[in-house]
Amino acid sequence: MAEVANPAELQKIADQLRLDVVKMVHDAKDGHPGPALSIADIVATLYFKELNIDPQNPYWEDRDRFILSKGHACTVLYAALARRGYFPAAEFAGLRSLGSILQGHPCMKKTPGVDATSGSLGNGLSIGVGMAIAAKYRQKPYYTYVMLGDGEIQEGIVWEAAMCAKKYRLDNLIAFVDNNGWQSGDSVENVSGLLPILPKWEAFGWHCQSIDGHDFAQIIEAVANAKQAAAPAVIVAKTVKGKGLAFMENDNSWHKRVPDDSQLAVARKVLGGGADE
Amino acid sequence: MSSYKGTREAFTQALLALAASDDRFLLVSPDSLKAMRATSFAERFPDRYIEVGIAEQNAVAVAAGLAASGLIPFVATYAGFITMRACEQLRTFVAYPQLNVKFIGINGGIFGGEREGVTHQFFEDLGIVRSIPGITVVAPADEHQVYQAVKAIAAIDGPVYLRAGNGREHVVYDENAPFELGKIRVLREYGSDVALFASGFVLNRALEAAETLNRQGIKATLADVHTLKPIDSEAIAAILQRCGAAVAVEDHNVIGGLADAVAMVSTEYCPVPIGRVGLQDVFPGSGAAEDVLDHYGLSVGDIVNAALRVMKKKK
Repeated sequence: MAEVANPAELQKIADQLRLDVVKMVHDAKDGHPGPALSIADIVATLYFKELNIDPQNPYWEDRDRFILSKGHACTVLYAALARRGYFPAAEFAGLRSLGSILQGHPCMKKTPGVDATSGSLGNGLSIGVGMAIAAKYRQKPYYTYVMLGDGEIQEGIVWEAAMCAKKYRLDNLIAFVDNNGWQSGDSVENVSGLLPILPKWEAFGWHCQSIDGHDFAQIIEAVANAKQAAAPAVIVAKTVKGKGLAFMENDNSWHKRVPDDSQLAVARKVLGGGADE
Repeated sequence: MSSYKGTREAFTQALLALAASDDRFLLVSPDSLKAMRATSFAERFPDRYIEVGIAEQNAVAVAAGLAASGLIPFVATYAGFITMRACEQLRTFVAYPQLNVKFIGINGGIFGGEREGVTHQFFEDLGIVRSIPGITVVAPADEHQVYQAVKAIAAIDGPVYLRAGNGREHVVYDENAPFELGKIRVLREYGSDVALFASGFVLNRALEAAETLNRQGIKATLADVHTLKPIDSEAIAAILQRCGAAVAVEDHNVIGGLADAVAMVSTEYCPVPIGRVGLQDVFPGSGAAEDVLDHYGLSVGDIVNAALRVMKKKK
């Protein structure tokens, strides 16, 4: 699939990515479908509209970078990379198996298009800060995007990075917080004293926006605003964990769970039965 | 003739020289500029001095991002703050993707931390980094070797941990003595009664012990094992073969460092008795630098006695 511009086309792509996720986890009998589905619309928008990338040249120096800091949601990243042309969708079948390019969590050395290794939570924003500082130093025009989970920002290093990004005025760094309200054990509200999220980023000197993370027009507008900001920008995206499949939505048991054959069939039906390969 | 006040100054001089010839070299500091004696770097290369504040985990992960973008960052601060506080960032985000980040850990050993006490005495750093795949581990013996070693590690692509001190290191080497990454250097070859392997800022003590033994009629071979990983198996095994007994001397816990590295070679290629002179798996305390070494089992006498003990176990 090539780059697209309008929300209707993005919706189709996001549906395809969601189906890819469900099928990958179903076939591998392992993985995290819920947190992948909550960011599918943002990932589709980035990879099929916003990112300045060249799938034929994954290590192009001037490319925009995307870091999936919440690396456990990697199936949706793998889906986007494959559908964008970095590698064949046939690789999906190898997810989490020996010799596959698709590790259980993203590995920049094994998967073309993965810009940063990730998966142990909290670290992606700091890596993004390093990439954004490198862009400033090298006078490169690229943007660095980081996708954080809302539970993930309980990690202290996230705020070390937030402080550092402000100091270096990294207006080329754009972070999303996937605010689906859930984390591994329970709701973010019950587990932590984190809420409310936005004032914390404001206090750290970031340009802040809140959006509906499933509304393509809002995602596109927020990225445009973030690029205009004179500071590092965070977009707190209200999302639904498991978005797109009623049986999965807001049911945190799908944080890590394998869909059975009938659930896969439902996914095919709901998501349009897109291409398998 | 170059002269430094210690290994930290030697590091900074080497980094200045590297940076002058290649604009990819950067310094990432978690508020360690003064501790590293590196203010001259910040003055000369302000846009290559990345100050992240007292945030070591961030420092290491930022360095990963810089390296992933084609730059060569040095992260320099206290050894334990790199290898313990930021251990996971070092392992997962630098070593695993084989990014070209260089780590300089100061206050290495109990000698390095001396009066500061346990919070600033780092005697597990080498063991921690040795156990992580894909990272080169270096513990040079003095300031001249640190200078050469920094240049040597800059010349290879990939992550490296280099241990430095705090200014009390004894000069052992001539300024122009070469530093060959991955190779031991034999400093004394009195004979083959016993082998002494030393690493880091206690090499002066090992030299003294070798001389003391010689005066007693015991002929030792002494080698500086500055590169702990990859270990120079071939040369170490050859010495073990000749001597039949060995003592490892290191300012580190006796678990995880040089003694284990030598023992790995020995068990595989040439099993011989090996004595371990180092911190005997206890928490040390504050004290004057030379005194803490003497008190915690690293005196010249301790090395001599260890040599006598292992010689008795020779087959």
